[in-house]
Amino acid sequence: MEEQHYQSIIEEIWPKLRRKHLYPEIPMPKVKGIPDPEQGEGEEGEGVGLEMKQKQMTINGAFVSQMKDKMPEKRVIEALLDHGITHYTFCPWDFHTHLRLYAEAKKVVGDKELAKQMSNYFIDVIADTHCVRKRFTEIPELHRNLKKGTIEEVIAFLYQKIWGIDLGIPPSKMSVKGHADIVRRLARIPYLDRSRWGESIRKFARSLKPLLVEEQKQQGSKGGKGEHNPQGEDYLNHYSNEEIDQGLRDYARQTMVLSEFKDVVEDFSDELKGAGYGMEGGMGRGQGSPIDADILFYMKLAENYSIPIKKVPLEEKGSLHPHSHSPWEIGSPFQDVDIWTSFGKIMPGITQVWTKREGKGRGKMEGTPDCLIAIDSSGSMINPRKSLSYAVLGAACATNAYLQNGSKVAIYNFSDAPMGGKDILNYTDQREDIYRVLCKYFGGGTALDLEDLIPLTQGKKNLDLFIITDMKITNLEALIGFFGQIQNRVTAVHIGDNPYAARFEKAVEKRKNISIYTVKRKEDIPHIVLGRIRDYFNPTHIKKS
Amino acid sequence: MKSPTPPKKSSILPPDKESWITKNPFEEFKTFAAPTPDLPLDQIVQSTEAVMDRIRRGYEKLLEEEAKELVWMVQYNTIIKAYEVAEKYVREVDYTAEDIEDFCFALENTQRIPYLIPGPAGVYISALCNYAMEEEIVLKLSELKTEINLIGFRLSKGKRLMIEGDTGDFTGIGLEGGELVIEGNSKNWTGAGMRGGKILIKKNIGLHTGEWMMGGEIYVGGRVRGLGNIVEGKVYERDKLVYPGKVRYPNLYY
Repeated sequence: MEEQHYQSIIEEIWPKLRRKHLYPEIPMPKVKGIPDPEQGEGEEGEGVGLEMKQKQMTINGAFVSQMKDKMPEKRVIEALLDHGITHYTFCPWDFHTHLRLYAEAKKVVGDKELAKQMSNYFIDVIADTHCVRKRFTEIPELHRNLKKGTIEEVIAFLYQKIWGIDLGIPPSKMSVKGHADIVRRLARIPYLDRSRWGESIRKFARSLKPLLVEEQKQQGSKGGKGEHNPQGEDYLNHYSNEEIDQGLRDYARQTMVLSEFKDVVEDFSDELKGAGYGMEGGMGRGQGSPIDADILFYMKLAENYSIPIKKVPLEEKGSLHPHSHSPWEIGSPFQDVDIWTSFGKIMPGITQVWTKREGKGRGKMEGTPDCLIAIDSSGSMINPRKSLSYAVLGAACATNAYLQNGSKVAIYNFSDAPMGGKDILNYTDQREDIYRVLCKYFGGGTALDLEDLIPLTQGKKNLDLFIITDMKITNLEALIGFFGQIQNRVTAVHIGDNPYAARFEKAVEKRKNISIYTVKRKEDIPHIVLGRIRDYFNPTHIKKS
Repeated sequence: MKSPTPPKKSSILPPDKESWITKNPFEEFKTFAAPTPDLPLDQIVQSTEAVMDRIRRGYEKLLEEEAKELVWMVQYNTIIKAYEVAEKYVREVDYTAEDIEDFCFALENTQRIPYLIPGPAGVYISALCNYAMEEEIVLKLSELKTEINLIGFRLSKGKRLMIEGDTGDFTGIGLEGGELVIEGNSKNWTGAGMRGGKILIKKNIGLHTGEWMMGGEIYVGGRVRGLGNIVEGKVYERDKLVYPGKVRYPNLYY
């Protein structure tokens, strides 16, 4: 009964709230059922007033009932929704900002759980302060009536100071040793200046850390999880899978540091698994292996670059028709989803996509050939699992380009191949498998085994080759000889100037199908390779330049 | 030739067009344009920024006067002179201990302060601490990437300076009766020339500890790498008196 009453309140105030927040694209909030007290259910989440999953806000009826003696239900609901909406419209705004704030907090507090709590507190302070500043809101009234622990009291004291509104914190509590000092420090932070949030959260964490550590110790000794945040918890649930995807991509591009990215991904591994990352055999299939943060880093970083490929005429190219099903994974296009066998859901593990097969046809249609990528992982190359390897990034960009054009990619990862230092992946379109082989590092000598390469090129009428190495290959002559025999398009990228590279360049300079790219600074690889490949694939572009 | 009066524009508009022009398409939002109240936060942030600007300007002037070539040699005379200049600028600013901490972090932010020269920076921070209104100052500097030299220079009696984090060389030199607590490690020449007061280092300390110290006490919670030529005073290592008492040669490695 009460549930319906709360829902009707929401329906009544929702248009006004939307207008107040300038019409955010958020669905109408719902009310979570009030548990039956006789059955003793629902104690767990009673302290949480608002839950947010993806963009759906859910008001906890039990919480509103609990608060109705202190303030009218309508005002409680309005305050909770004001707070919730501001998370979408101001802070954290997106998953990338959330990750960034978390990473900064972790630099100060060092602990994963503390950093999560710290970033949540910071985000809440910003959201509430933004609301109080910009909109008529019931948030101060809600804070006045909320049950508070030590940290909540300090934060309410902070609100009193920075909002200039009395929240009923008794002066005796303000004079507790250290608390006034903490609040004085916290009050100096420019919460509403988005450009300084990184610096601000570090300051916030530095000041609040002793209290949080103390509370964690107390909770540890009690063996409990502590008080719930009435304004909502588990902020990672706010984001949709696409937002998480975009956030990781932006974060990888912004940090460009493997270790930092790895740290954050590992800290959020449980939540990311919930979003479908790191499952067995591709993102989003059943239970399984842990997230490989290294692979995810290169995957997300490579998504920031795109390599245009000029298509080549392929013979006997007929139209494609749906042939069989395969599981859908996050990041795959939606257009091939079979809604009938996916039960109308977009969910890793359930959703299926059509695998298309080429029909028999005549004529010359343009298409993208498959690609064989040879990557050097000898001792002279950077270990991609230790720091950012631009060789792997370059190969990853090429992989994406071919996969996006519906082609398959084979990988030949070599170090001392004749002695077994190699990994071969046959033609596939499974991105995760490809990245796993690309990220493999042998760290030994450098020698190619042509016996390995030949079977990969045989039987393929149209095939592109992409090799990325420092050219310090023991049997370079054999490679030159091999390239001399084939007519396929070859893109060779070598790092730095050395006599081996010069020899290779000289030997193949007359071959029109081979393009060589010298990269003096490793950092240039993704850029120069992208541009030059464009030149290579687009002859008109060369003429103009 | 221009006509003396510009041609009059016709003000007659079709009735429907007139209403079309005068109507604000965002009229609906107008009623809900909530006034943005000035929160006390704005004033606090503004005044904090203003103080930080003045502190920053003082530091830049100190660099202009004392480190023209952006090179600064640590010598007795240069320290004294730099401190006198720092005192001159610091006296003009009204600030709190939190401003000093913010300044320490701002030093690492090259966009805000272009040059961090550890010597003058340390002298300037010492002057800020000595002239602060508070008797007890806590600087939470554990995330600072740079270890600041010369911190606690001439800390006077009645003052207590607590640093969370590590400090560089010449920590607490010329201490004048104050109490300096370092929660982390300290480097070489700590307490050199101190005349009185107490230095408490929670972790380890470097070489030349207490060189030419004339009085006061140094307590080290960890290891002392080496003592300097001490004239008078006491040095404790893990609650054990290491000077005077057991004869120790200068810079004896433990």
